[in-house]
This record gives sequence, structure tokens and C-alpha cells, in this order.
Amino acid sequence: MHEQTGCFDPNTMGESVPFLKDNFPQTLPPSPIVVGNTTNSNNNSLEQNLRLSVEELSYNHYYPQHQEDHVSTYVSGVTATSIEIPHPQHLGLNMGNSYINNNNNMDNHLVQEVIDAYPYQLSTWDPATVQELQDIAYANHTEQQQQQQQNEQQFQQIETQNCSQSYNNPSSILDPPYPSPDLLNLLHMPRCSASSLLTNPSICLTNPTQNTPNFQNPMAFLGDLTIGSENTSASSVLYDPLFHLNLPPQPPALRELFQSLPRGYSLPTNSRNGSLFAGGDEMEGDGSQLDMGVLEFNRVTPSVGKGRGGKATKHFATEKQRREQLNGKYKILRNLIPSPTKIDRASVVGDAIDYIRELIRTVNELKLLVEKKRYAKERYKRPKTEEDAAESCNIKPFGDPDGGIRTSWLQRKSKDSEVDVRIIDDDVTIKLFQRKKINCLLFVSKVLDELQLELHHVAGGHVGEYCSFLFNSKIMEGSSVYASAIANRVIDVLDSQYTAAVPHTNSY
Amino acid sequence: MSLDEFSFNAENGSNRERMRRKNYDYDTQVFKSKNLEVERRRREKLSTRILLLRSLVPIITMQQPLELHLMNKATIVEDAITYIETQQNIVQSLSYELHEMEATSEEIKPKKEEIDAAEEMNKLGIVQATKIDGNKLWVKMIIEKKRGRFKKLMEAMDNIGIELIDTNVTTLKKAYLVTTFMQVTLGKIGIFVMDIVWGN
Repeated sequence: MHEQTGCFDPNTMGESVPFLKDNFPQTLPPSPIVVGNTTNSNNNSLEQNLRLSVEELSYNHYYPQHQEDHVSTYVSGVTATSIEIPHPQHLGLNMGNSYINNNNNMDNHLVQEVIDAYPYQLSTWDPATVQELQDIAYANHTEQQQQQQQNEQQFQQIETQNCSQSYNNPSSILDPPYPSPDLLNLLHMPRCSASSLLTNPSICLTNPTQNTPNFQNPMAFLGDLTIGSENTSASSVLYDPLFHLNLPPQPPALRELFQSLPRGYSLPTNSRNGSLFAGGDEMEGDGSQLDMGVLEFNRVTPSVGKGRGGKATKHFATEKQRREQLNGKYKILRNLIPSPTKIDRASVVGDAIDYIRELIRTVNELKLLVEKKRYAKERYKRPKTEEDAAESCNIKPFGDPDGGIRTSWLQRKSKDSEVDVRIIDDDVTIKLFQRKKINCLLFVSKVLDELQLELHHVAGGHVGEYCSFLFNSKIMEGSSVYASAIANRVIDVLDSQYTAAVPHTNSY
Repeated sequence: MSLDEFSFNAENGSNRERMRRKNYDYDTQVFKSKNLEVERRRREKLSTRILLLRSLVPIITMQQPLELHLMNKATIVEDAITYIETQQNIVQSLSYELHEMEATSEEIKPKKEEIDAAEEMNKLGIVQATKIDGNKLWVKMIIEKKRGRFKKLMEAMDNIGIELIDTNVTTLKKAYLVTTFMQVTLGKIGIFVMDIVWGN
């Protein structure tokens, strides 16, 4: 970490000398933040094998990064970029589950960087040649993205494989050398916020500096950025001729000048195919120019909402894209919910609310179970190693107090059956409702025996074409059953028996 | 004047719809009031649910920091998607860890198996059966409480071909009280049923 920060500083000094002159006194405060990161990384290295402790520490990372977000509002853009570089190392140390949490923090951090750097651009006068180079690099982004559309599916498959590898072999992530965790982190980053307009170009900032030995990797990331870039390319094509005509020569209209100049140069470079490699070199070489590109991208978006020449086509294109994005997001949300009820948006949002509450309860339940398991291990008087001592120290502040009673509630639906599972401490209540007559009582009693649930009370029967049962049972000592396991198991058994019963009815 | 109103309404899609309804207002008030109320209720329903979803999800990403659209629908849905995915990953990792800990704690089970073996006692329960309507039986059983006992009873019933119409099971300390209203589909005699159940 220290070496990389040391190597990065002279580059920034060489590239952005005027910024450092203006912001020299502000460089001192962020240094303790870097020290804090090093201490966190040391804690992570000690407890790499412990999964729960790392997850709990990831929540620790969540809070100080809030502090970093507050601090970064007062820090200039240059120092913010220096802070961002050690973050991938933390991401590499954390496990696969904490990728998304930290990536969201990264997104917030990157967005605030843009906020900080925006006023500095207005205060300074940039030469036209720098803007030309940025426009060429930015246009090459769009060209490469269009070419990569065909290969998107292949990269998505690679992403899924990486995700599965990270779960199946957690130790393999840490054993190989440093660059491979970065690849996993960067693969996850665009998936979280693939459709957000601002964060896509900002993610490009970190990619070329870290992946300079591998030329193919930035191509993969550029393929994921096609959604955001299509909007910008469409808007740039529509608006260019008008701003040529409307160029005001007066100096107080600086914003309009900044908006108009890059679009003028983007048109001829789009037609050129040979400029891809030149743009790639510029991407890898200079980081500050990409910062400039991000800022100009920010200026483009407010003008979309304003009504200027060519109202109908402009409004129609942007509005249609916005609706398509929103519909796509609703579809993704609906696919995540295990048992959706209806298709309209209000129902999808309602089901999402219920499912989020269910997930929160499930997470709390599982954490309690894990703590009880560890307590049971200690109770059997096994030899305590240093790791066990570390576990006991770390678990207590995060876990619920000892008096907390375990509660959980789940509902699952399939085509012909519904299951409702409630757990209070060690009592389990299962409600079962199924259409069609199958001997539910037999199969459910088998499932209860498999799951080590002691049967206490059963009530129910057949009513017409439906059968309904209520089971009260108690969890045996030593078993670690949780509500989602019970519900999934019961509903799988019922559905499999229902499919098996269909040929049985045909025999009659 | 109408041109100014049109240009003002062009910026907001919802106001444009109201413009059309005002046109309908001059023709038929019934259409205006009915459709207006229904549409207003639908929008209110969706907006309240989106507010509730925003309150549940702790992740907040600002899509356009210059304009600070915190309440944008797209960002709210996107944040909900990311939050659901993170929670699902946490559930998977915790359940995986539970399975690992359970595998390491296999030593606990044989102790309980020994205890169960020590408590094996041969006790026969009480069975009462009442014949109703030729093909149906009302059976009351008191059997000893063991772990797999009820499952075995259900398997025996299923093998005979009995269909349980209503079932009620109550547990006291060491006994099950099973009352069932069953229907014999294969036409067997009640005495044979009683013998088989008793033998179980």
C-alpha cells in the first residue's frame, strides 16, 4: 500500500501542478485516513479464515467510510484520487460477499469526488488542446463499446464463473498473487450500478491504471458500459450542429463553451476506425485527462432536460430510454422475489418490501444460530486456540444480547401449495395449504423427521379439493434448522410429490 | 395564452394528462371524475409503496449529484435490487457456515442416539375405532411418543390405502393422542385395520 501511494504521488504532481499549488495546505488532513486503512487491513489479514468476523468487520468498514465521505467533501479532487487507490487492496482482502457493500461505498466516494472537482474546473481556464485529446479518448470509449456489444454475453458468463469460484473456494482467492482479487472486484463493480450515468465513466478511471499489463481486461469492462454510453452518443449526435451555430463569443458564458467544444470534435473521430489504439494509449497513460472527461460528461446531462432546438426528437429519445431502463429494473426486481403475486408495478414494489423484511429477519436468525453453535462448542470444553479467543472478543459487541429471543417468519408459494413457517425461540409452527389430494401428512412428517423437529401437535384435514394442516413442533437440541430451510424443504417435497402423483392418477 | 400553457406543460408529462382531462371536462364530467379518481388512487398507491421501499433500503446512491434526485424511481428500484442481492449473499454464506459447523459437531449426535436406545421400552397404546357409514372409520389412538413413531404410523396408513380426511394430534409428556377420521378406499374390514394399527 505505502509503495503504491508513494509511486502515485509524483505522477499526479507532474500532471496537475496548478491544482497542487492551489490546494497545497489541504493535503495534510487526509494522511491519518490512510493510516486508519492500514490498521484495518492488518485486522483483516489476521482473520482471513473466519468468515463471519470478516463480514462483521465489513460493517466496521462501512462506518469509517462514511467518515471518509464526510472528510472528502473538504478534500480536493487530486487527494481524493490518491485515497481511492488503496481501496481495491481492502476489497481484495475481503470475501466475496462484501464486494457489493464496498463497491457501493466506492460509488458514493467516486460521485462525491465529482462534486468536489466540479467548482475547480470553472475557476481555471483549460487550453483547447487538452480538451481535444479528452474528446478523442472519450469518443474512442464509445467506439470500443459498440464493438464489444457482441462479446457481452461471454463476459457475463465469466462474471458468473468468478462469482461461483469465489464462494466455492474462498481460500483460493487469498492464496494467488495480488492482481487476481482486483479482477474480481472490478468485475463486480459495473454490475452493481450498470445503468447509472455518472459512475460508469468514473469507473474507467481506476481500470487502466491498475490493469496496464493486461490489455484485454479494459475491453471487458468497456463492454459492460454500453448502456450508459449509448445515451451520451445519441445525445451528442443530436446536439452538435445546433451548438456550432449557437456559439457565443462572449467570455462570461464559459459553461456553454465547455459544452460546445467537445461535441464539435467528437463527430469526425467517430467516423475514424484507426484511432482506437491511440485512444487506448492515452487512456492508459494519463489519469487526469479522464477526470476532465468525466466532468464534461456531467455538464452534458443538465442540458438534456432543457428545451432547446429539436424538441420532439430529443424529448422522445431520452424519454423512451428512461422508460426502457425503468421497465428493465422492475423486471430484475420481480425476478429476484421468490414468489411474486402480480405483474403490475405496485404489486412488485409491495412484494419487494415484504421480501426485504423477510431477508432482514433471516439474516438476524442465522447470526443467532451461528453464535449459539460457537457457544455450544465452548460448552463442550474443547481446547481454545487463539482464533477462538479472537472470535469470542469480536462476536460479543455485534451479536444480540443474551436475552434476545429468536424469531423468524417466512412464506413461500408455488403453483399448488403454500407454506408458512414461524419460529419463536425453539418452537416451530408450520401452516400448510395445498390444492389436490395427496397424502400431505405422510410427506410432511418425513420432512420433519429429516429436519430433526419434534412433533407436538397436528391439526387439519381435507376440505373439498384442498387440504390444510397446522403443525406445531419443537427444535431438538443441537440441531441448527432455520426457517428458510424448513420452508424450502417442505415446498420442494410437496411439489415433487405432486409431479410424481400425476402419472399415478393417470393409472386410474 | 394557450400556447404558453402548452409550453409550460410540455416539461411535465403528468400535467399534460391533466390538460387532456380538462378538455374532457367540458364534454362529460362523469368521465373526468371517474377516471381522475381511479388514476389518482393508482398513483398514490405506487408512490406510497415506493416511499416505504426507500425507507427499508439503507443504500442510497445519488445518480445525478448536481441535481440530487434522491427520490428518483429508477435509483430507488436499483438500490432495492442491490440490497436484496447483498442480503441473499449474506444468507448463503451464513447457511454455508452453519453446515460447516454442523459437520464438525457430529460428535454430539451419537450421544443422543445412545440415549434414545437406552429408552426403548415396549409399550402398546390404546386404540379405539368406531365404524361410520360402512366405508369410514373414526379412530382414536394413544401411542407412546418416540421420534419416528408418527411417521411410521403414516407410512402404515398409506400402505393400507387409507385416506385420512381429518386428523388431530395432541402431545402430552410421553404420549401422542391421535384422532383421525379416515376412509378405507380398498374395502377392507375394520378389524384388519385395527389389528395392523395395533401391531404398529
